[in-house]
Amino acid sequence: MTRQRPTERFDVGLQHERTALAWERTAFSMMVAGAILARYAASVSHPTWALVGLAQVAIGGGVMVWAGWHYDELHGPLRAGNPVVHPTAARLVGLTTVGFTGFGLITALVVITLG
Amino acid sequence: MDDRSGHGGSLGRRIVPEDPRRIGEEPDYRFTLANERTFLAWIRTALALAAGGLGAIGLLAEELAGAEALGLGLLAMSFIVAASAYRRWALQETSMRLGQPLPPSRLPGIMAAATAIVAFAAAVLFVVDQL
Repeated sequence: MTRQRPTERFDVGLQHERTALAWERTAFSMMVAGAILARYAASVSHPTWALVGLAQVAIGGGVMVWAGWHYDELHGPLRAGNPVVHPTAARLVGLTTVGFTGFGLITALVVITLG
Repeated sequence: MDDRSGHGGSLGRRIVPEDPRRIGEEPDYRFTLANERTFLAWIRTALALAAGGLGAIGLLAEELAGAEALGLGLLAMSFIVAASAYRRWALQETSMRLGQPLPPSRLPGIMAAATAIVAFAAAVLFVVDQL
């Protein structure tokens, strides 16, 4: 049985899909940057500090899964014309990135100034 | 004073503005999603700067004098971008919901200048290193 294609075009600019891809690129960037931070932290101090970077990798993975799931779900509200704004995800990613970049900056500062 | 634009108020509100969903009317969903993509692009910029900074410190520090300072500069830029990303998103969302012009921001200009300075400094360090 072939799947029925949507008969109604509600999103000619593919905004919805582009936004899902932007979330996925961001999630992937979080994972890559987290791995780099984990490697750096482990190389300059005790290996347990790598856990901060690994946490970033895990959160990035979570965001990746959420983005795929959420944007599939969003077809319904978009067709119905309901609000699609979700500050919670933006806050999580924003806060995680602030914590991550702050930790990276402080670690590098401490390591470089104290040798 | 009833300042709903998010520009004033306490320090906490300045960093994390009020939830935009409580203000004004829902804009066209395309604008909501475009604002979201812009936020994500700033977050990726912060992550790329952090990766570049850690890379400069971790990989170049022993080979290139000054690489650590460059790396710290990139990490500082990264933190500034990350710390302002949510605020930017929320203020723009609020403006759209109130039908007001988007708030002006100096960050794109500052980032362009800072990136140019880092690139120039890296080029100078490289040339000096080769002498």
